[in-house]
Parts: sequence; structure tokens; C-alpha cells
Amino acid sequence: MSLLTVSNLTKRYRRGGKVVTAVDDVSFHIEPGETLALAGPSGSGKSTIAGLVLRLIEPDAGRIEFEGDDFLALRGAKLRARRARLQMVFQDPLAAFNPRATVARVLDDPLRIHGIASRAERPRRIAALLERVGLAADLAPRAIHEISGGQRQRVAIARAIATGPSLIVLDEAVSALDVSVRGQILDLLLDLQSQERIAYLFISHDLGVVRALARRVILLDAGRIAESGDARAVIDAPQSAIGRALVAAAPRLKRTTQDAS
Amino acid sequence: MNPLRRFLRTPEAVAGAILLAALIAMALIAPLLFPGDPQAIAGPALLPPFQDWSLPLGTDRLGRDVQAELFHGARTSLAVGLAAAAAALAIGSVVGTLAGFAGGLVDEMLMRVTDAFQTVPSFLLALAFVSVVGPSLGIVVAAIVLGTWTGPARIARAEVLSIRERDYVASARAIGMHPLEIAFREVLPNALPPVLAMSSVIVAAAVLTEAALSFLGLGDPNRVTWGGMIAEGRAVLRTAPFLSIVPGIALVLTVLGVYLAGEGIVETTAVRRGLS
Ligand SMILES: Nc1ncnc2c1ncn2[C@@H]1O[C@H](COP(=O)(O)OP(=O)(O)OP(=O)(O)O)[C@@H](O)[C@H]1O
Ligand SMILES: [Mg+2]
Repeated sequence: MSLLTVSNLTKRYRRGGKVVTAVDDVSFHIEPGETLALAGPSGSGKSTIAGLVLRLIEPDAGRIEFEGDDFLALRGAKLRARRARLQMVFQDPLAAFNPRATVARVLDDPLRIHGIASRAERPRRIAALLERVGLAADLAPRAIHEISGGQRQRVAIARAIATGPSLIVLDEAVSALDVSVRGQILDLLLDLQSQERIAYLFISHDLGVVRALARRVILLDAGRIAESGDARAVIDAPQSAIGRALVAAAPRLKRTTQDAS
Repeated sequence: MNPLRRFLRTPEAVAGAILLAALIAMALIAPLLFPGDPQAIAGPALLPPFQDWSLPLGTDRLGRDVQAELFHGARTSLAVGLAAAAAALAIGSVVGTLAGFAGGLVDEMLMRVTDAFQTVPSFLLALAFVSVVGPSLGIVVAAIVLGTWTGPARIARAEVLSIRERDYVASARAIGMHPLEIAFREVLPNALPPVLAMSSVIVAAAVLTEAALSFLGLGDPNRVTWGGMIAEGRAVLRTAPFLSIVPGIALVLTVLGVYLAGEGIVETTAVRRGLS
């Protein structure tokens, strides 16, 4: 059974009388422990899909089944409780945290909300989480704005894994980072995945990263699925126009495909 | 440059701070300097200022010490001004946060209530409230709050509307935080700066409203107030103008001090935020 099954998901926005279909009849599934990549040009609906899957945005039509349950039917306390299993990491690690927060508070919140550890136990859990993502435990009392972008993204990942999720949605989670830091964060994600069997919905416009990380990829164009399949196959030989355009726009990839031919 | 130094370099702000400090000092030392009832008879009636050095500001129609009244009046003004502003800011930010964060019907309802309060001139509102409920310090504060909480509410709502779209609010929802905790712990504290920037205007307005109510005889009868002193002096305005002028000047300087100091604080913190 799939971990997440999305069927015929549709989301429209009204903007000044005109209707924009941000997500148009999108269906896909994610298996436990796998990485599904979502790629597409800017405005193709990637973040909207992330929001829909996370129940941060309500769809106009479609179904979302998560861990065997009708995810869209969950409300209130039941929905909040289930959120422990489905976490997210944003693109901008600074915007993703309350500007007044400290590292400790950011990690304390999910542990407290989901009753994962008692108040007395939490500092130890926080230290363990920090170590798990490759950070020193003494970072805990620091303010979020005092640490580096890479450290912040590690804290964001620590927050996401704090509740033991089965799926993490990563919306351009490495796009804002320096190339060297990006590699380290990707390694961390791969390591976490192999250790804890977490599935990723990995959103990125960087096909190089997608190719390295994901088993399957979905290419979006104007809210619709243009192409999907094995990540290597799709990226090495895109069938859709948007696929070819995306591959052409990725300089690192063009070279490797040329090398191969 | 740190904000304190920048504050100290602004002459208006310093003048305001000095006026405010003097007011606070007056309010604090009033019971030490003038123990006992400031409304008790202290000497001959209508003694002009600077005649008798034991009564430097003279006496009023009933022979009460004007200086003692002035100091005790500072207590009332300050207490009412601060209490009313604190309550108006607290109520306004809670209402504004709930409206902006909840959106939809809740927003619609809360903002219609805010509109209703805002359309009635706040002084009339205060006047009507005190006339109906009866004058006491707490009622006067409540009456002033009735007409002043709407400004903070609107500003808080506008700020919350922009903050609720931020990623960190989405993060809070994604980790399963309760909406009320998101509203009051994640959103409200970050919406506060522009709301707090209104405090000096609100304190100043509250001091003036209290004075006006007292002037109309709707102040707490058990307390000396500057508005009440001005009203008292009105009967003998031609022969003893100082009885109205002295508390009048105190009132003007207080409002000016609060306003200048408040502006100074807003300016210095705004510049700092702009730079960082
Ligand atoms: N809240 C909203 N109101 C109106 N339109 C929206 C809203 N959110 C998204 N849209 C529109 O929906 C479409 C898809 O947006 P979305 O943010 O999902 O794209 P994206 O693929 O994530 O783009 P990017 O790569 O730039 O992040 C865009 O046309 C966008 O303008
Ligand atoms: Mg996006």
C-alpha cells in the first residue's frame, strides 16, 4: 500500500476576476521510504501541491490518502495529531522560523505539542536531535537569526524529524544554500532516509539534484503533469516540451548528457 | 550607534523624557511630600502664588494647597493615562489578532464591532458611559478605553494579515500547533511593534480625556484631578486665573512630554529596524 496517494487534485485561485488553475487534476503516489521529485518551471504549481499535501491549503477537488486514511477528512485535533507523521522543510530557512525563536524553542514545540517527551526530558531530546542533524548540542540556546543558513536548515530538518514522520515535504529545501552546504544537507537527507525510512516529496527546479536524489520524478507545467517516470530516464531523455526546456536550462546536466552521447 | 545614544541625541526626545520624568517624579513623591488629604484646608482662601513660601502655588477658593493638589493630580493623570493605554493596547491587539488571524466570519464580526465603536466620537462614548455607570477611577479608565481600543485593533489586524502568510506560521500549523497558540504566541508578538508605537498618542489622549471628564464633573470625586482643578478655578477665572492656569500648564506639559518621548522612542527603534 502506498504511503501517500493523491488523486485528481485540483486547486484554483481567483485573481481579479480571472481564474488561475494552480494545480490541475494531479495524481501521484509515494511509497514508504522513497523519494519522489516534483520539478517544473516557476509558477507551475509545485508549492501549491506541497501546501495541499500538507493540508495548509484546501483543494477544490481531489483526494489525498495518507497512511491508509482519507487525509482530507481529518479536522481539528485529529488533523493536528496526524501532522506528526507528515512534516515539511521550506526553502528559506530564515523565513521558516519565528524571528523571536531560539533553536531550543523551535525543537521544543513539536515535542511538547505531540507529547513526545516530558518537560524534563525535552532538553535531552533536543540535544539528541541537534546531534542527529550534525549540529553541536550547545547551539540550543542561540537565537535563530544568530546561526548560519546551513545550520538553520539543519535545525529545520531536526524540527521535521522530531515527531518521527513517515513523509517529509521538502519545498526547494536546498535551493537557497551555497553549493558546498547544499551537498552536506543532501547527504544528511539521504542518511536520514536510509536510517529512518522516511519518504520525501522533493520539490526542486534543479534537475541535477533531482537526478541524484530521486527514484521517480514528475514534471509539472502550468499545474498539470507533463511527464513522469524514472528520474534518470526522464531527465536523460525528456519526452515533453517542458522536460526538454528544463533539461536545456540546467547547465550541469547538459554537459553530462552531451558527454554520454 | 545604540538606540539609547540616538535617543539622547534628539533634543525633542530628551525634552519629552525630562517632562515625563518630572511628571513621574511628581506622582511618586506626592504622598511623601504632601501626606494627608490634598483636599484639606491648608490656609486662607485664594492666596496667590509666590506669596507664602509654605504654600508656594497659593490656595484655591476653599483654601486648599494648590501645589499639593497639583502633585496628587499628577498621580491621577498618570494612573489613568497608563491604565487606559495599557488596556486599550491589550484589548486592541487581542481583537485585531483574532480578527486578522481567523479571517472569514469572525473577522467580519469583530471588524463591524470595531467600526461601531469607531463611528461614535470617543469622547461622547466616554461621557455617556461615565454618566450612566457613575464616576470612579476604574470607570473613567474603562470609559476612555471604550473609545481608544479600536485604533490598536485595526493596526494589529493589518499587521497580522501580513504575518499570517509568512512561512513560519505555515510551519507552526505543519507541526500541529493549536490555532490559538499560533495566533497569540507566534503571530501577536511579531505584530506588536507598530501597535506599541501608538502608545504615546493613546496615553496623551487618555490624559486629556480624563481631564475633560473631570472638568465636566465626571471624574472620580475622591481624587484630585487637573481637570477638576481647572473647573474649580473657572468660577474665579477673572480674579484668580492662576487656579486654572497652573493645572492647565501641567496638563499641556504632560501631553507634550508623553508625545515627544514616545515619538523619540518610535524614531530611534524604527531607524534601528530600518538599518538591520
Ligand atoms: N495564494 C494564491 N493566490 C493566488 N494565486 C496563487 C496563490 N498561490 C499560488 N498562486 C498561483 O498559482 C500558481 C502556482 O504557484 P506555485 O507557488 O505553486 O508555483 P511554484 O511551482 O511553486 O513556483 P516557484 O518555482 O516560483 O516556487 C502561480 O500562477 C501562482 O501565481
Ligand atoms: Mg514554489
